[in-house]
Amino acid sequence: MRAAQSPEIERDAGMTQPISHLDLLEAESIHIFREAAAQFRKPVLLYSIGKDSTVLLHLARKAFWPGKLPFPTLHIDTGWKFRDMIAFRDKTARDFDLDLIVHTNEDGAAKGINPIDYAPSVYTDVMKTVPLKQALDKYGFDAAFGGARRDEEASRAKERVFSFRAEGHRWDPRRQRPEMWRLLNGRLGAGETVRVFPLSNWTERDVWRYILREKLDVVPLYFAKERPTIIRNGQLLMRDDDRLAVKPGEAIVNRRVRFRTLGCYPLTAAVESDADTIESVVAETLGARTSERQGRLIDHDQAGAMEKKKQEGYF
Amino acid sequence: MSAHPNALQDAKVKKSKTLKVVSDQAAPSSPPADLSRIAPELSGMLRILTCGSVDDGKSTLIGRLLWDATDLYDDQRETLARGKKVDGGNPDFSLLMDGLVAEREQGITIDIAWRYFDTAHRRFVVIDSPGHEQYTRNMASGASHADVAILLIDARHGIKKQTRRHAAILDLVGVKRVILAVNKMDLVGWSEDSFRKIEADFQTLSWRFGFWEAIAIPAAAVSGDNVARASENMPWYKGPTLLQHLEELPSRGTEPKGPFRFPVQTVLRDSRNDFRGLAGTVSAGSVRVGETVVDALSKRSAKILRIATMDGDFEQASQGQAVAIQLDTDIDVARGAVLSKADARPVVARSLETRMVWLSETPYDPRGSYLLRTATDLTPVSNLKIRALLDLETLATTPSAECGANDIAIADIALGRPAAIDTFGEAPETGSFMLVDAITGASIAGGVVTEAKAQAAEADENTFVLTRAMLERGLNADLGDRPETEAEFRRRANEVALILRAAGINVEIESAPDYSI
Repeated sequence: MRAAQSPEIERDAGMTQPISHLDLLEAESIHIFREAAAQFRKPVLLYSIGKDSTVLLHLARKAFWPGKLPFPTLHIDTGWKFRDMIAFRDKTARDFDLDLIVHTNEDGAAKGINPIDYAPSVYTDVMKTVPLKQALDKYGFDAAFGGARRDEEASRAKERVFSFRAEGHRWDPRRQRPEMWRLLNGRLGAGETVRVFPLSNWTERDVWRYILREKLDVVPLYFAKERPTIIRNGQLLMRDDDRLAVKPGEAIVNRRVRFRTLGCYPLTAAVESDADTIESVVAETLGARTSERQGRLIDHDQAGAMEKKKQEGYF
Repeated sequence: MSAHPNALQDAKVKKSKTLKVVSDQAAPSSPPADLSRIAPELSGMLRILTCGSVDDGKSTLIGRLLWDATDLYDDQRETLARGKKVDGGNPDFSLLMDGLVAEREQGITIDIAWRYFDTAHRRFVVIDSPGHEQYTRNMASGASHADVAILLIDARHGIKKQTRRHAAILDLVGVKRVILAVNKMDLVGWSEDSFRKIEADFQTLSWRFGFWEAIAIPAAAVSGDNVARASENMPWYKGPTLLQHLEELPSRGTEPKGPFRFPVQTVLRDSRNDFRGLAGTVSAGSVRVGETVVDALSKRSAKILRIATMDGDFEQASQGQAVAIQLDTDIDVARGAVLSKADARPVVARSLETRMVWLSETPYDPRGSYLLRTATDLTPVSNLKIRALLDLETLATTPSAECGANDIAIADIALGRPAAIDTFGEAPETGSFMLVDAITGASIAGGVVTEAKAQAAEADENTFVLTRAMLERGLNADLGDRPETEAEFRRRANEVALILRAAGINVEIESAPDYSI
């Protein structure tokens, strides 16, 4: 029990068995990891470096401790991740002795598909969705763990823990399997693969609370620091390298900023902040007045954007 | 247990404290003085199923609860402020519960949606389910995750057939606490008489089921009366508001009950430390280091040496905790086994009496190939026989050999090999199951075990016994007779049994040599 780390809860609850909501979430996630590892032939953990992946990886390590992770981790590298993210990824892989696979859509990269000149929907498809399918097919993974949460977006609110994809990785809302009690049915039909979401019932706040409680390292971009930024379409963008050309009327200004969510760098907006410790970041996040996907530009592309992307195979 | 008669009375609430809600708290841009106050772990979680039809104002009620009592983000509040107005200028709170594009366009809810919000005390998980009869299966699957259900009705119409049907579904999947939210009280002139009549009807209804607690609350969702704020329009009502009641119910996971059950998920090994641990989640009761546990299937027992986690060893593990159990002797327990204490074991079942809700669009096929997914086991079904259908409104059964989507069937299941199973009433997690289509993998039905029997359903001379010798000779020759390969051995045996069954042959798989049947 976590009582030692939750003294207030022990005192306040006055029940026979105090248990915090994070304990419940953690146990559920570990259960899901173990069910999937036992039921699927060749699972993989999709690692996207951000805070959700950090929690996902930590829970996976707990689920199989003291053994090693019984599956590899996969990072889809668009070539446009912040440099700090790549450094963090490689350090994490070393520290935890991960079997890390990095995959890029070389074809898209060769064609110069980038997040600056192309519409977010095109870029996301070519550099994220397509290479994810490529990698799953190339290695023959039948299950992929992801950090998606039901609280992220309306269409995700109905997502299953085991989310089935038909041949071609298509997501069809009508073909999803009902899930009852704690039972998880992982029997695959012909051509089917599955996405597994152990963080389904976590919220953004839980992720931060848990990072704090478990003292997990996260990418430094989550902490406020002077960074070169420009303002474009009302959003604060960090200029991580000179591939982000400065347009007439724009100026590179050093601002004290941090990121609430991490993706490809020109598509992820920063926020001005002084929060430079994990405690202050958590305090700021828990008091945040906008939901995190506001910071992700792709979601505002069109109404029901996420639902469309999922039907096409986006994670 | 039946509903406590007094549970329906207003007098239930002892505390009159005003609940402090998160939205009342100060804007938090200032640096934290005490992080434990800003980022507390909430002292519990409650999963709430909401059921009722669109017309009864269900989405509005939940939207109102979120609006008044929780930590909504500004952009979510803005969405509401910008959206169309209903009923005298109030925002359309139902927009907070919107879902898939297709559903938004149709204006109905066809799938269950999950919503999360925090009050100052605890996490609420709202599971929103459709109410219409053609969505019984959606409601049943949503309800199976819930700790409490809010049944919503329109005060003008009172208890209808649909309410009875909903109560029956809740009872079937094991929901023990029910709240009847009598909405739109403004439209009956805030009349106490109207409410008391509905409350009495609800009491009569509740007594037919195994609810531990059932309470009726008069409310008006649009104006927020008795949602998070006590109604000034109904001074005659002394009971809790909806929010107060939800805050006071026992949290998920705080009521450990029943005999110890530990369905083994997988075996963890660490050669560096010579560690072999059985990974799983305690599904009922609790266990301590040093206690003797038994695998009901093999009848082998061992003492618990360690209860291990990455955060250190535990002295005790209770319901809901995910741990790794190391035994003092290796008894070759594998996935599918259920550890228990010797004096309260699950049944080593060969046949089951069940109730199940049919989830698939594909109706029952007497020649179909089915698998039974229990806690961590997957067993081929050698025979599935539908006996009757349950009428959810009258609770009467009608003999039937057929079954289709949204039907509640009473059915007998003969298992292709013995599995460790409980009755749902004694141990819900090891007494519930999903029926799986062996070909498509789809979840066909979800059900509960009403009786688990050690003996086979009927001695059938035509049953073909797939012996281990047959399997070892050819198909499984590469596996050898080693504990590590037992799971693969069983998987292949299951598949052969399913193929033979599809050819019309009743099959029974011989158990591992040590297993006594």
